[in-house]
Amino acid sequence: MNIIRPRLNDFFSLPFRQEDVDFIIPYIDEDVPFYIDPFLLWKSPSQQDNSLHLNLINNFNFLGHQFLKGNKDCIDILINCSECNEIGLGTSKFKAGKRIGQKTSNEILSLYKDIPQITKSGFLHFEEIQLFIDNIAEDRVSDITANFIKSFLIDYTIDQCEKLNIPIQQVDIDYFDNKTNKFITDNVFLPINPNTKRSILFVPKRWIRQTTFISYENYCKEYYSPTILKVGQKPERVKVLNFNRNNYDLVQTYIKIRELQQTDCKNDPLFKQIPVLSAKRRLDTIIKLPTGKTDNADRIYEDTLCPLLASLLYPHLDFAQEQSRTESGVSIRDLVFYNNCSEEFLNDIYTTYQCKQIVFELKNVKELNNDHVDQVNRYLKDTFGRFAIIFTRNEPPKKVTKNLIDLWSGQRKCILVLTDEDLKLMCQVFESKNRTPIDVIKKRFVEFNRLLPS
Amino acid sequence: MKQEEIDLFEKAQSQLESLHSEIGALSKKSQNDALNKFKLKFVNQILVEANKILGKNYKPFPDFEVFNEDEIPSNSDATMVISQYLGCMEKLRTDNIISKQEYNGNKYLVRWYWTKTGKQTFPPIKIKEN
Repeated sequence: MNIIRPRLNDFFSLPFRQEDVDFIIPYIDEDVPFYIDPFLLWKSPSQQDNSLHLNLINNFNFLGHQFLKGNKDCIDILINCSECNEIGLGTSKFKAGKRIGQKTSNEILSLYKDIPQITKSGFLHFEEIQLFIDNIAEDRVSDITANFIKSFLIDYTIDQCEKLNIPIQQVDIDYFDNKTNKFITDNVFLPINPNTKRSILFVPKRWIRQTTFISYENYCKEYYSPTILKVGQKPERVKVLNFNRNNYDLVQTYIKIRELQQTDCKNDPLFKQIPVLSAKRRLDTIIKLPTGKTDNADRIYEDTLCPLLASLLYPHLDFAQEQSRTESGVSIRDLVFYNNCSEEFLNDIYTTYQCKQIVFELKNVKELNNDHVDQVNRYLKDTFGRFAIIFTRNEPPKKVTKNLIDLWSGQRKCILVLTDEDLKLMCQVFESKNRTPIDVIKKRFVEFNRLLPS
Repeated sequence: MKQEEIDLFEKAQSQLESLHSEIGALSKKSQNDALNKFKLKFVNQILVEANKILGKNYKPFPDFEVFNEDEIPSNSDATMVISQYLGCMEKLRTDNIISKQEYNGNKYLVRWYWTKTGKQTFPPIKIKEN
């Protein structure tokens, strides 16, 4: 079955929402562009998270001290730690990243030799290495963190799989063992990526951000540029990194400032709804827009409606992606949402119409005609099942409504048509919170069912 | 009407009046806004009671029983329907009350009572006192 942007639960036909689970639902074919921020473990009120952070720091500092003793194994261990494909986080499109090289690993561990304060006390926030070493950013910090706490992530993943009935299989996995201070291989039961056959580890949502709280960019913007540089000067990366190595006291001050600002450090939501005011503005833009293609009106309609719908329907429907296709020389834009069966009628759509993903076609036309309906009809297959929604400007004429009913009668396909009036109502309830925008779709679904012949 | 029926009637009427006042105020502020599920549940409960009291002859709309949650009724929809129910409740009451002229030693007073039970009530809303 061709699922658009499949997630693990879609593959196993487990229709739960991202909102309902404690972890980031991984994609099958790509990574999620978020990262584990160890600062969130440090500042967490949970003793468990604090213990994991302590464990992480101890392991990292252990490598540093081994380096000082001349033990070269630590370089290889750090290289192994620099990539963690199992967690599925980052910007990789192909789920397999590259590790750091010997040179970078050596540079990182050399900090224990070159900076006296680190020689003496080690790191408390190891993500500081971003401020000293080139080509080290939040992705490496995230992967190193994951590798050092992998044992916890394995147990956490197994626990979540048991709760949610996610299938697991016996698989070998490497992780850093605290007792032997080495990477060991263990045979455990974990969920498997159906394409790559690699094991998958779940990451709690409470640990993730789009970038680490202590980062090179934040350091330059909030501290280095205002305090060290002259007005108008821009920071040069290599110079900044060298400066930091030679002036660790100043870096320590920055770290202390960040620790004091810890209440500002919160995990980033995986999806952020647009504010109500923005939704109202988008609605106004759409209502005032002419129909057709004049002055790119169709493009503006689609560009405005896409983020609006994604926000309105959250969290009842998780947004998958928007896509474009060409049919008979016409460019058609549509949105695809995962059908999480969060409402009873969505469950009806899932079971009756085998609709795992709901497609919304956007048509900026004055009057819907049967050709538009046929275009959608031809597209209905695979993961979309036999259900779709058309968003258009005005109510369809009677002949189109009849066609939609005939389509159900003949092929048991359900295509709902929503208009500007429905969009207004969705925005209204989005603002007032008296009902949910998904109820407007349900209303149309119920109205359509009433028209059907018994 | 029996005493129990009158008690139920007066309770339902009082609830309908309160609902009309509350939802009417909401409707003046934003008439097209959807009525939330919490209020809708209680509106429907009271309408069910009112339908039992009014019966087939006094129901305002023969094909309306309660609001359908899936149709997302608005504040103005609810206000309109409740006002219709209030009107019909008043009609039922008016048809079941009689007036009696009583002398209090000083002047004659017209008082209204439920027929059969003789319980006192207020005059019909539509009859103006001279």
